Amino acid sequence: MDRRTASLAACGVALAAAIAVPFVASRAEYVLDVLFLVFLYGAMATAWNLLGGFAGQVSFGHAAFLGIGAYTTAILTQLGISLWIAVPAGALLAGAFSLVIGIPAFRLRGPYFSIATIGIGEATRLIALNWTSLTGGASGLTLATAPPLIVQYFAALALCVVSVALAAWIKVSRFGYALAAIRQDPDAAETLGVATTVAKTQALFLSACLLGVAGSIYALHYLFISPDSVFGFGTSIGLVIMPIIGGLGTVTGPLLGAVVYTFIREQLAATLANADLLAFGLLLIAIVVFEPRGILGIIDRVRSGKKPPPEIAAVGDG
Amino acid sequence: MAEPILSCRGLTKRFGGLLAVNRVDLDVEQGEILGLIGPNGAGKSTLFRLIAGIMHPNAGTVTFGGHRITNRPAHDVCVAGVAATHQIVRPFRDMTVLDNVVVGAFFGRRPRPHGPAAAREAALAALRFCGLEGRAHSDARTLNLSGQKRLEIARALATRPEVLLLDEVLAGLNPTETDQTLELVRTIRSHGTTIVMVEHNLRAVRGVCSRIVALVNGSKIAEGSPEAVLNDEAVVSAYLGTTHA
Amino acid sequence: MLVAGLYAAMSYGLALIYGVLKIINLANAGFLMLGAYVTWWLFTAFHVHPLLAPLAIVPLFFLFGSALERTLVRRVLGAEPIISLLLLFGVWLVLQNLAYVIWTGDTRSIDTPFIDATVSVAGMQLAVPRLYVFAMGVLVLVGLQLFLTRTYLGRAIRATAQDRDAARLVGVDVERVNGIAFGIGIALAGFGGSLLSLLFSFTPDFGRTLSLKSFCIVVLGGLDSIVGVAFGALSLSLAEAFGVRYMPASLQNLISFVVLVVVLIVLPKGIVGTLRALRRG
Ligand SMILES: Nc1ncnc2c1ncn2[C@@H]1O[C@H](COP(=O)(O)OP(=O)(O)OP(=O)(O)O)[C@@H](O)[C@H]1O
Ligand SMILES: [Mg+2]
Repeated sequence: MDRRTASLAACGVALAAAIAVPFVASRAEYVLDVLFLVFLYGAMATAWNLLGGFAGQVSFGHAAFLGIGAYTTAILTQLGISLWIAVPAGALLAGAFSLVIGIPAFRLRGPYFSIATIGIGEATRLIALNWTSLTGGASGLTLATAPPLIVQYFAALALCVVSVALAAWIKVSRFGYALAAIRQDPDAAETLGVATTVAKTQALFLSACLLGVAGSIYALHYLFISPDSVFGFGTSIGLVIMPIIGGLGTVTGPLLGAVVYTFIREQLAATLANADLLAFGLLLIAIVVFEPRGILGIIDRVRSGKKPPPEIAAVGDG
Repeated sequence: MAEPILSCRGLTKRFGGLLAVNRVDLDVEQGEILGLIGPNGAGKSTLFRLIAGIMHPNAGTVTFGGHRITNRPAHDVCVAGVAATHQIVRPFRDMTVLDNVVVGAFFGRRPRPHGPAAAREAALAALRFCGLEGRAHSDARTLNLSGQKRLEIARALATRPEVLLLDEVLAGLNPTETDQTLELVRTIRSHGTTIVMVEHNLRAVRGVCSRIVALVNGSKIAEGSPEAVLNDEAVVSAYLGTTHA
Repeated sequence: MLVAGLYAAMSYGLALIYGVLKIINLANAGFLMLGAYVTWWLFTAFHVHPLLAPLAIVPLFFLFGSALERTLVRRVLGAEPIISLLLLFGVWLVLQNLAYVIWTGDTRSIDTPFIDATVSVAGMQLAVPRLYVFAMGVLVLVGLQLFLTRTYLGRAIRATAQDRDAARLVGVDVERVNGIAFGIGIALAGFGGSLLSLLFSFTPDFGRTLSLKSFCIVVLGGLDSIVGVAFGALSLSLAEAFGVRYMPASLQNLISFVVLVVVLIVLPKGIVGTLRALRRG
């Protein structure tokens, strides 16, 4: 059995297990709740990774798309519109917004793009906070009814599967090569015929649509959303951290990162306020300095007994 | 004579007060190997960047295959059929050598390979052509300079160019590698690709080019057969360092 | 308008670090916040007058910054820019949440008679702390310029910022200059934070909005020029003063983001850089 078949088989088994969980687990409520979060975060991290990992365009403002999805669904369902319309509308609106900001922001490169995204994220939060007639301002929005937990669970699972499958497909496709080339050297990519701005915009659009759906599921799960929860900087931070923990630019890394992220949050958030974010900060520093390829990098290193790639180990300047 | 495949008219590029390329006219004939020579800072690389769309000129036009390509973005120019290598090599360092070339194969001039398998096949062919197939699965950063220069060529070739701009692909190579690369250039031409090469190695230029253009301080000062240009008084004095007005 | 001095004071460090190390100090907000907290803590615990706090903050933050450069930042200088950005983002997260753990999320402010003092100048009531902060913004500008142009170390820093290989060739210890410049940058951020604590109340999250303004200012000024920073600070404070007339105060912060994004896009070289290019061209 070659590696490809092996990993496909592993995915199949994991998926079968995930589908079986609701029917076999004892304490199903709690287990479902935790797994729901893992899948939702996994989908969100995978979506962020399409742009941040594959194309190397690190965004600190991705909460904007989650927020747009969440608010669209919340507002439309309050008007009595079916979820079958509300959720796609949220995704498309998030996607449309991504085009509005992507077209100017992608004139910026690397770190400049990242800084601009902090501004974009903060600006959307402020707008949500101040557009009271639409969003209810700081007091947020409450949804009337939620689908049963099992439906939410399968929705999150489905979104996660779709995101990861999409990432896996992109990785080996022509589009994936464009993104990888952009990440490494956008100028060289251009001279080889890659329309870098178009590719980046497409990646951002896909990423935003997936986050829009995630936002809808988020709203339906918690039944309450506010600018500080869905549009908050904390959300954007989480989106950056999960893929980095797992392995930036990989297919399964963000999902792994989501597991670790959810676990650390569950463990620490209860003990001491902000201890989780402190831990994430330390983790981020450690990963960046010692193994920028995250958990998957560590696994790779253990497996092959290799040293880290030379230029990461080297203490250089310039 | 047939229409030139690539031609520049009055091409000009300024960097602040510096005229890097000054009203250059250039015609490249289908199927030739044109040498572009000139002392350091003459504007050769800048001229290449203007043609390839990496930079845009302050004035002048570039025409390729009868179409204006002036001011088009670099990826458009590449897709149209003009590929350029970088004087300072720019491999995708963390990709394998093969994947570097697959990028070129996937994009570049039409018709493009359908699907990943076909793109890999095309990339492998380009690597074989450049004598790099043995390193296909190494990371690009592990190649030595001569390997990286070959990778530049292989990547550009994989885009199926009609005109290939080679910027100092011989610099830093030892005599054996130089001869191999010159042989490669001849083979590429024999497959029908037109080549313009910037080169400081005048012996090599004399051996391989059918025609030479000399650039000094951004302006074209001589053009013609290798013998004529290399013996031209202005060219010789520019190379010997005497100031040339 | 007086707020320009403040904006400048909190941005010099960012520009200095970018100029020399070519990395963007995303942790700037964390050090601003820390500077404010240390000032507050010295005041409440030891009754140190807030105007004296910088005497402790500047050397301490300098040492901390140099140590940080030596232990962490140095390791990522050769890597892709995004790596150093993420590293400093991590540092920011740690500082911010450490502050939450130590000082809780309660809003703090410093309360002395000095804070509330006003003087009337030409018929206008001006807050003394604002005047003081403005004066400090100008003073630091002058001091930094003198340091960078008149001292050996300052010249070494400028040489490294311009061309590190050339600087190394003429015998500048570039590694040491990196450490010192980062230290000074952090010390300036701490000083800026200390000044901020005179004007605003703060929480551990303090500094994020302000830091965005810093980025805006530094980008306006052209990222590596100290005079450019002062200029950028002035422009932003004018834009804000102008903007509040046309939009609700709660949206005032939006102005800086809009300016930031617009400037990044329209003038990627900053105003000073663009002027320079125009003059040359
Ligand atoms: N991006 C740029 N900004 C400012 N000046 C530039 C830029 N690129 C090139 N120059 C200047 O333009 C002039 C021409 O440079 P160019 O690289 O085209 O020369 P060249 O003929 O390729 O030289 P070499 O043989 O050394 O490669 C030089 O003086 C160079 O310093
Ligand atoms: Mg050159």
